[in-house]
Amino acid sequence: MAAPRSWALWSLCGRGWSPVLPGCRLPWLRSCWPSGPLGARPLSQEKRATETHFGFETVSEEEKGGKVYQVFESVARKYDVMNDMMSLGIHRVWKDLLLLKMHPFPGTQLLDVAGGTGDIAFRFLNYVQAQHQRKQKRQLRAQQNLSWEEIAKKYQNQEDSLGGSRVMVCDINKEMLKMGKQKACARGYKAGLAWVLGDAEELPFDDDKFDVYTIAFGIRNVTHIDRALQEAHRVLKPGGRFLCLEFSQVNNPLVSRLYDVYSFQVIPVLGEVIAGDWKSYQYLVESIRQFPPQEEFKEMIEDAGFQKVTYENLTSGIVAIHSGFKL
Amino acid sequence: MSAAMATLLRRSLRPLRAFRGHPRPAADVPLRATSHGAGLLYPEHIPTSLVQKALLAAGSAGMALYDPYRHDMVAVLGETTGYRTLKVLRDQMRRDPEGAQILQERPRISLATLDLGKLRSLPEDSFGREYLRFLDVNRVSPDTRAPTRFVDDEELAYVIQRYREVHDMVHTLLGMPTNILGEIVVKWFEAVQTGLPMCILSALFGPIQLSAQSLQVLVSELIPWAVQNGRRAPCVLNLYYERRWEQPLRALREELGITEPPRRIEGLA
Repeated sequence: MAAPRSWALWSLCGRGWSPVLPGCRLPWLRSCWPSGPLGARPLSQEKRATETHFGFETVSEEEKGGKVYQVFESVARKYDVMNDMMSLGIHRVWKDLLLLKMHPFPGTQLLDVAGGTGDIAFRFLNYVQAQHQRKQKRQLRAQQNLSWEEIAKKYQNQEDSLGGSRVMVCDINKEMLKMGKQKACARGYKAGLAWVLGDAEELPFDDDKFDVYTIAFGIRNVTHIDRALQEAHRVLKPGGRFLCLEFSQVNNPLVSRLYDVYSFQVIPVLGEVIAGDWKSYQYLVESIRQFPPQEEFKEMIEDAGFQKVTYENLTSGIVAIHSGFKL
Repeated sequence: MSAAMATLLRRSLRPLRAFRGHPRPAADVPLRATSHGAGLLYPEHIPTSLVQKALLAAGSAGMALYDPYRHDMVAVLGETTGYRTLKVLRDQMRRDPEGAQILQERPRISLATLDLGKLRSLPEDSFGREYLRFLDVNRVSPDTRAPTRFVDDEELAYVIQRYREVHDMVHTLLGMPTNILGEIVVKWFEAVQTGLPMCILSALFGPIQLSAQSLQVLVSELIPWAVQNGRRAPCVLNLYYERRWEQPLRALREELGITEPPRRIEGLA
């Protein structure tokens, strides 16, 4: 943990100091702040600080949660179709790359937050199943005999094809979870999958439970990103990995211009034509612009206690994968 | 840290705090037209750029053909393509005394504004009673019309809203049911009357999904009848329907020069 004085200066440097100040977990920081003749000042700052952005609108923090809930409730049914249409299918590649980066082995416990329709969870299950099968093939080829337990399990069809891996999909929105469950049923995913209704800022899990925590395209919708990061740190086991796949700032000016035109001119139109909902998709593209850029987000992750934080840009920075470890 | 330094620091940090949202210069506003806040001409207004309107028009036309149950797409098509025609319609309404009154008073037709009890108590062949019967038999409600969103003029937004709300009245006047064939016939009538591009497109492309038999009836009997009546009748947007509930339907039809439909089409399409 950084020294208190530099912490205060760090947070004063405008990098997320407004969320830090009111819901502050370090009461001594507030007392460092000079009051006295400027006593009126803290009050107005706190009032301003309870407002946040909802796309390009300004709303109060209490309102934002409700509004985001409504957006996802409304888009849930066409969420997957719209993802394919808007990204021309590229979102599948991004999610595959996230799994490649994760490179889970059989036995990994994954928590997928804001996992709604289950894209990451299903990919995870496929990946560990393939890994497990490969491991077994390797064992057989290497003339290693299976143990008696394994042979007995094979005959009883009790073999765990996932090798002990489990994924917990957590989402705050009931409609998205419903869609996810329907998809799981339709595609035949049953083993190793659990669906939990929960808030990323206050996860319903004990400390030190998971090997990997992922949040794909969800963290920008959270009202207090720092709280979500702290929760992520809490529920991960020591040695656990935090992975975040999120829209970020484009580093190439030409691509950025094209991306802007596409985002603001085409995407709400797609939302209206395909899903009958202009405003939700307007919010989605605006919320991308409101999210901190790669470096700033990396610093926020470090603030939450993660180490060895890195990020990787995909598609010129349209999307970035941030990774950190709890050590 | 001294109080003065703190104030200085705070003042210099305020613009930094604004940068958390990574603002772009105001010149980008047309590119990033937001759909909320200042610039709204009416409550449901969503300001759109020309590019967005063109994309919406194309997309909604395609989607309406692909999925005929997407009535909202037909509405969007009307809004994005009808600007010039709506101006003509509005000017023509201003010239007509009853039409001018409608523009002034802006009556709306919805379940909230209609007195269904009173309509039900009207004599059997009055316009109001027949309209109510039309709603009941076809199981439609006047509240299913979505509000206008993409028209960039407040009065024209009302004109197209009125056109939508009057659509059911036109069904009653023409005696057409709400099946596909009936809707196409009404669209032909409205296309001739209003000249709205959306009506013309629906009239021309709607029949694509029809069976050969219905198509034959449509082309040989219904379209000529609809076009003839459309040309003969004064603009249906100029009628203050809310004041004509008690008028007998037959008399109203005579006043407008609308004849009986050539055949019943409830069973077709």
